[in-house]
Amino acid sequence: MSHILVKGLHKQFAGKPPTTAIDDLDFAIEAGEFIVLLGPSGCGKTTTLRCLAGLETAGSGAISLGGTTWFDSSRRIALPPEKRNIGMVFQSYALWPHLTVRKNIGYPLQARGTKGPEAAKRVEEAAALVDCATLLDRYPAQLSGGQQQRVSLARSLVSRPDLILFDEPLSNLDAKLRDDVRAHLHELHARLKFTAVFVTHDQSEALALADRVAVMRAGRFEQIGTPFDVFERPATEYVADFIGLSNRLPAARIDGVTRVSGVEVEGLVLASAQHDEFVLRIRPEDLRLAPDRGSLSGLTTVAGTVIDSVFGGRHLDVYVAVGGLRLHARIEARTTDDWARALRGGEPVVVGFCPDFARAYGLENEGSRLITVQPLVATKD
Amino acid sequence: MATLTVSAGSRTRVALRRLGRQRLLALLFVIPLAFLVLMPIYRLQTEALSNGAQAYSTEFGRERMPGTILATIGLAVGSLAIAMAAGTLLAWSATLLPARLRWMRVLPILPIVLPFVAGVLGWTFLLSPRPGYLNALLRRLPWWDHLVAGPIDVYTLPWIVIITGLTLTAFVYLFLSAGFQNINSELIEAAHVSGSGALGVFFRVILPMIRPSLLYGGAVALLIGLGQFTAPLLLGRQSDVNVLTTEIYYALYNRTPQDPAAAAAIASPLLIVGVAVVLGQKYLLGNTSRFVTHGGRGFRPIQRKSKFAVGLILTYLLLSTVLPLVALAVVSLSPFWSRRIAPGAFSLDNFRELFATPVLVDAVWTSIWISFLAVAICLPIGFIASSLLLRAKQLKVTRAVLDLIITLPLGVPAVVFGVGFLLTYTRDPFFLYGTKWVLLVAYVTIMLPFTTRMHMSGMTALGDAYVEASRVAGAGVVTTNLRIVLPLLRSSVGGAAALMFVLLTHEFTASLLIRSAQTQVMGTVLYDTYANGNYPLVAAVAMIMTAVTFAGVVVALSIGGSKVFEDL
Repeated sequence: MSHILVKGLHKQFAGKPPTTAIDDLDFAIEAGEFIVLLGPSGCGKTTTLRCLAGLETAGSGAISLGGTTWFDSSRRIALPPEKRNIGMVFQSYALWPHLTVRKNIGYPLQARGTKGPEAAKRVEEAAALVDCATLLDRYPAQLSGGQQQRVSLARSLVSRPDLILFDEPLSNLDAKLRDDVRAHLHELHARLKFTAVFVTHDQSEALALADRVAVMRAGRFEQIGTPFDVFERPATEYVADFIGLSNRLPAARIDGVTRVSGVEVEGLVLASAQHDEFVLRIRPEDLRLAPDRGSLSGLTTVAGTVIDSVFGGRHLDVYVAVGGLRLHARIEARTTDDWARALRGGEPVVVGFCPDFARAYGLENEGSRLITVQPLVATKD
Repeated sequence: MATLTVSAGSRTRVALRRLGRQRLLALLFVIPLAFLVLMPIYRLQTEALSNGAQAYSTEFGRERMPGTILATIGLAVGSLAIAMAAGTLLAWSATLLPARLRWMRVLPILPIVLPFVAGVLGWTFLLSPRPGYLNALLRRLPWWDHLVAGPIDVYTLPWIVIITGLTLTAFVYLFLSAGFQNINSELIEAAHVSGSGALGVFFRVILPMIRPSLLYGGAVALLIGLGQFTAPLLLGRQSDVNVLTTEIYYALYNRTPQDPAAAAAIASPLLIVGVAVVLGQKYLLGNTSRFVTHGGRGFRPIQRKSKFAVGLILTYLLLSTVLPLVALAVVSLSPFWSRRIAPGAFSLDNFRELFATPVLVDAVWTSIWISFLAVAICLPIGFIASSLLLRAKQLKVTRAVLDLIITLPLGVPAVVFGVGFLLTYTRDPFFLYGTKWVLLVAYVTIMLPFTTRMHMSGMTALGDAYVEASRVAGAGVVTTNLRIVLPLLRSSVGGAAALMFVLLTHEFTASLLIRSAQTQVMGTVLYDTYANGNYPLVAAVAMIMTAVTFAGVVVALSIGGSKVFEDL
């Protein structure tokens, strides 16, 4: 049996017009699983999290943990947050400024009736777990952002809750610290095996932490799967775009010739009898550039003109016009020859990519879903 | 509520009972408040409409009524104009203060917390035609040296308007300076960089952005001006300047028998305008997100003209506070009030007389402890009311009603409320007249908007995350409030409580209408002493009032810092 079961969860916010924050969600979370809700702001991920916490009440649907019903609109049950045995890490950390770190971490224990030496011991343990044992008698205002973040984590862990909720907890940290905390969190989860729901808009966070990633759009799950699945086989164009396949090449196959934005493509490409028109998606890192087709043998190629080239340290970002399209190629600066470094706007260039790295999607009116057709065919009959 | 808890599983019952119980508790809280606020207004209207609304035609048919109405409008509009101009100028100059003089920003707010009745008395001592100190000084000027009285007559409408306007300036200043501080300096800099000069920036960027503060400050000043009672009562009698509020008072205390129907009828226009302004302003400012300019650095103008700013603020302080207080102090130390100040004759005799007069001593103590009790009652009410308004999202109707009830006293002038209190508590089921409890009930009612607003601003500043974190950590509503919210609100609430105490100790208008011989407070004995013409003793009472106020303000500032005034 699943640990947490969400059925038909639906939530609207009043307004003109009313906005649907969660649209009929169904999902299950296994014990010890780390689920990441990924999506842009306004996609409903935080609302979903807050419904799990009991801080927001859904309009309809049901949430249960094990045999306990947390929420059931049809039976008019809505357990308040304090009855759900959960932990939560807030975006602002929400450490109470008038309590010491020790009291902050001990609060969930005290609120749930654990007192005395047992509570003191568990506070020490939780603090040690996040390397905050030396900070116990300080006040939150005396801590750095990273320390506050760790204390907040200890507070969510201390009472060994059934579920820990993370509301974009890393977004207030600077880039380096974020990587450290992320690694630490991954390690902790591997060790303690707590059940977690983590909300973020950062795809790399999602891929690093999740057992399963749920990509959300307009209150629905666009795709839910392992990080590998989501990364390698984005189910829709929306997911593909969000996960980094940002180059969009609308392609058409007319009279046996495949064209991208009117420009003829050479080499192999995905194609099927049903799809004369489709959209190719590809990552900037998977595009190659060369002065002519000969240097890109084995790749699928299309001719274009350089718009601009931007130096980025280890890499070059080159923007290329192909027909009416603007493609973004990220090529490694170390290995590029002088030719690539000397690229300037207006120069002709050939863009190539390995057809295995591209993903093909149906048109929008067909739901922009991934087309899975093998084998690859030549772009020309 | 019990009828809801039928059938189904025990959990259903728990959930249903929780919502039901919440609603029941909320109602138990809202209904007494509704009685406090609505009953006086209701009694007022039924009284005015009794006998086929005879009182309306009698009162508004009187020959002098048009003049009274004109004077009321003149007082409101005139003092509003003065207050808006001077308040905007002061608020603007407060932003020009250099960092080390930033504390001076609090000075123009002093007239709000100081007893207005003391200020009016002070101006009487300064500008009374014959013995007024300033008039005596002015008569030394060569072109006025032939005069035996004047040149200024404080007992005329223009001077009533000016003195009221001086005090209202502080209210406009309060709202506008908060507005100025909320403007992000980058917005100003962007306008300068885009080619606007100082004036262009002021009129095209700053003024539009502080529109909510202007509107709010203006509305508050207009309401206070319309309901102004103290200045016209103390100053208007000599030259027969009457406004609606004084007519209300005279209908009750200058006619035998008392004519409450007349008082209620005369109060109607003030009540209607007041309620309309409150509702209209709520509607207009309903969506304020457009004006939110937070974020980034606080507002800093580019050019600093700090000398000009300091001069302006000190001038206002001198006129609104220092001069009248000095005049009061001088008279309170003198054996009698004459145009010559004789420091040699200064003594504390007036204070000795004051403390030897049981009525006066009683009044001082009554003021202090009734105000203290009222604050003690208002604090939990404000806490619960703002918790309901901010957090009880599922109780939509209850919240809307509560919001209305809490806001209404802002629009009802104190003198109108006073009549309402009198009508409500001189009859069953709550016959309180003649006891001190009527004062307590009135003070609590008057302070409802203030206590709620200040708790709300404290809670809003706190944000939701602390509360949510506590709930998620397993603490219920009660524990969360006790262990998280209350400790975090302590400083802001403590400061504001001291401020409420101060405002109540010198409450004048409502007290004057509901007092009886046995229930006197500082304001009412001050008026009686004034009416009897014992000016040095009046000055001594006013000095005591001011001293109590100062003590309270010092406490407020030390607990809450200078930001305590922002909740007004």
